Amino acid sequence: MSTLNYRKLSRASRWLDVRRRKLGMWAYVLNRITGIGLVIYLYLHLVVLSSLLRGAAAWDSFVALARSPFYLALDVILLAGILVHGLNGLRVAFTGFGVGVGAQKAIFTVLMVVGAIALWVAALKIFHV
Amino acid sequence: MIENPFAEEPKPTSAWLWQVFTGIGLVILLGLHFIANHFVAKGGLRDFAEVVAYLRNPVILCLEVLFLLCVTTHALLGVRAILLDFGLSEPAERRLNQVLKVVGVLTVAYGLGVTWMVIR
Repeated sequence: MSTLNYRKLSRASRWLDVRRRKLGMWAYVLNRITGIGLVIYLYLHLVVLSSLLRGAAAWDSFVALARSPFYLALDVILLAGILVHGLNGLRVAFTGFGVGVGAQKAIFTVLMVVGAIALWVAALKIFHV
Repeated sequence: MIENPFAEEPKPTSAWLWQVFTGIGLVILLGLHFIANHFVAKGGLRDFAEVVAYLRNPVILCLEVLFLLCVTTHALLGVRAILLDFGLSEPAERRLNQVLKVVGVLTVAYGLGVTWMVIR
């Protein structure tokens, strides 16, 4: 039983090991890690939104906290996760429908460059530079 | 040996198609949500009065509800895909599907409930 569970756990976590893997595996792992992070963020976000129910004072004090540099840096990290997951997800979707199958690595690279530029511009905007 | 995902043809299951369609929807809806709430809003976030006024706009309300539906569906289908990698038996997969449906319904109900209490 324990051997079986170990095997299942081992099989389920194989995707996490990117050692000696090619770009495709990195893309796959990035998509999963950012996806897990975004699911956790989604539920944290929903919990935070409940402070709206405690009225203006509770929400506005949270907003003041969220405008601090630490929270703004977290916003940039969140946006990085969204961009990686979203842009790579688009590639996966198009590939699934047979579009751009032969140029996946190039498409992935271009999308990540576009994402990095978008993140840079957004970070400047978030920090009001 | 793990095969190269670039060389892999995704199976067009209904779950995968839902994941794709909600994902494409999210690119638009999350983009609008992020821009509206972090870039357009003065100071990067709306204060309480601004949130209430924002959500009372019927077009915004529809878009935010659609966003909630898409993001919940997409997120839980993603969780399902990861958990299926554990090689679940058929009964376990059925139970997982049921649990995720309940979590999804509760998540959407919670989001709608908070929204309703804010705008009423």
